[in-house]
Amino acid sequence: MAILVDKNSRVLVQGITGGAGAFHAERMIAYGTNIIGGVTPGKGGQRVCDRPVFDTVEECVRETGADVSVIFLPAHFVKEAAIESIRAGIRFLVVIPEHIPIHDMLHVREEAVKHGTTVIGGNTAGIITPGEANLGIMPDIAFQPGRVGTVSRSGSITYYVADTLSRTGYGQTTCVGLGGDPVLGSTFAEILLKFEEDPKTKAVVMCGEIGGVYEEKATDAISRMKTPVLAMVGGVFAPPGKRMGHAGAIVEGRMGTAKEKLEMLADAGAHACKTFRDIPATLKKLGV
Amino acid sequence: MRLYEFEGKHLFSKAKIPVPDGHLATSAEEVYQIASNLDRPVAIKSQVLTGGRGKAGGIKLADGANEARTVAEELFALKIKGFPVTMVLVEPRLTIQREYYIGVTIDRANYKLAVIASGEGGVDIEETAANSPDKIVRTSLSVHEPLYTFEAMGIAKKIGIPQEQIKPAAAIIVSLFNLFKKYDAKLVEINPLVLTDENKLIAADSRVSLDDDALFRHPELAEMGIEKRHEEGEMTPREQKATEWGIPYLDLDGNIGMFPGGAGFGIMGNDFIHYYGGKPANFMDSGGGPSPERIAKMLVLLDENPNVKAIFGARFGGISRCDDFAKGVVMFLKDHGLSKPMVMRMTGNMWQEGVRIFEHAKAENPRLFEHIEFHGIETEIEEISRRAVELAEEGGR
Repeated sequence: MAILVDKNSRVLVQGITGGAGAFHAERMIAYGTNIIGGVTPGKGGQRVCDRPVFDTVEECVRETGADVSVIFLPAHFVKEAAIESIRAGIRFLVVIPEHIPIHDMLHVREEAVKHGTTVIGGNTAGIITPGEANLGIMPDIAFQPGRVGTVSRSGSITYYVADTLSRTGYGQTTCVGLGGDPVLGSTFAEILLKFEEDPKTKAVVMCGEIGGVYEEKATDAISRMKTPVLAMVGGVFAPPGKRMGHAGAIVEGRMGTAKEKLEMLADAGAHACKTFRDIPATLKKLGV
Repeated sequence: MRLYEFEGKHLFSKAKIPVPDGHLATSAEEVYQIASNLDRPVAIKSQVLTGGRGKAGGIKLADGANEARTVAEELFALKIKGFPVTMVLVEPRLTIQREYYIGVTIDRANYKLAVIASGEGGVDIEETAANSPDKIVRTSLSVHEPLYTFEAMGIAKKIGIPQEQIKPAAAIIVSLFNLFKKYDAKLVEINPLVLTDENKLIAADSRVSLDDDALFRHPELAEMGIEKRHEEGEMTPREQKATEWGIPYLDLDGNIGMFPGGAGFGIMGNDFIHYYGGKPANFMDSGGGPSPERIAKMLVLLDENPNVKAIFGARFGGISRCDDFAKGVVMFLKDHGLSKPMVMRMTGNMWQEGVRIFEHAKAENPRLFEHIEFHGIETEIEEISRRAVELAEEGGR
């Protein structure tokens, strides 16, 4: 099984007529992803990758039954495109672009919560359910169908973890990129709980990094999960990062260093891993 | 992007938040002129993009124009945390009855905006929060909501603003909140908000940090002369060069040149090198989908660095394609030649094409590849990290 997307997901691409949109739509289709069409305002009626293009998401949903959307648009169009999809009833939204204004993502998140839509990104490599659907920019070569879920803030780390799971025979159920932006559509906690509900996922590898607060916010979910969680946090040896400022530090408390994050995750019951090699070793110990 | 105090105060002033009648000066002589015109005791404040300016002696007081010139000369000779003082703000000196703190920022964990206020201003607010959290008043708001005047009045009362000052204080808090939203800020602070002996509230300092990704929405900032700039901190010459080339780069004190793909493995690869007993010489990120030219420039930064004894290359092609990566490496080898040993691993999108480019270039000129150990998906990244540490040790001998 899979979380969030599988071979039956009916996926639309927002920005399918653009260079990046068309290029990746073709890649996703080649992988077997069920891309049913695209949306570019003003270009309704065209075809790209032999799929119909619509002017609005609402039309696309009505005509094709699309339920998932991937956004390939310049950052400053993302807020409107995301809210359009959320209001049109899209249940899962993947936001690939980076450099989305922070205030815009706050708006998108509020709208998503109101309508019950799950959003990942911005600045995510996407999501892949190996053998079924690949939404975003992840390289196919790293992934094999299997029994471990992954969730990470970084694209490159997702690839290394999946590569490790593939070469050691564990494979993956679904790999989710949370994204690298300061304000994200989803948190670790929310994605972990979706894996918890998936009977095929026998363990989850979560990879965090220095800065932000989403790792700390995951501890409650981890302590309640039956599915084992393996945790890596990048930046243990990183030089002290730039702080957001005084008020930001108050709001976020004394959180943020990789070492503290890893300790908190371990206290909540996660199995800490230092390098990718530790992942298969830990899975073996857990009998996964 | 952090603004200078005078730029922040300019925004405050436009938002009808009272600020002192300040003037910017770039020489002691100008300071003398301004102080003469003001004809009152003045405060002279160095304009640098770093905190702890007061403690470093970056703020001076003067009773008259002559004294102002003398202390200004001292300020212009100063370096604060490495920043030379090239501008100072000259303001009439405030008489201080009480100081408060007002700030607005983003609460990322809860997807909210947060208004922070305290009756103890002029001090490190982070310390107040840690030592006496009861002295901090915090209000959470959705990005869709306004801050109403009645709420701002509640905040003003809670931090102990005197009754007759409640209405102007509320107006300042609302204006600050609106300014935060209007300019897509990450942080705005008035610290301190001063109650003067004349019972006037006035923003004695400003701290404003804007979201670089939203600057496209605010061309008026450029019209005011506020331009995009490096966030904070003094840069080494190499960091400066990298910034000019648009490459995120940080010098570290080790000897292994880090040549990674994404920022995620940039950060974790740094850890890996430490786990295997080595120390990186830098942190670097190629950014999404780098051009061959950019890849070549990344290698220039490493090859020119005398501290670098070996290079650790890692590329897992996602949006960044292996063929572009290989082209960049070959471009560098042909133009510069590599003077240090490098071990690298490359896999992911277009890796076959990347390998073909390497093999072709190597067949043409094998000597270019003399110092390069090249691996694909068959080798674990841990093994590459270990080997990089080994090569650096050999090179260091």
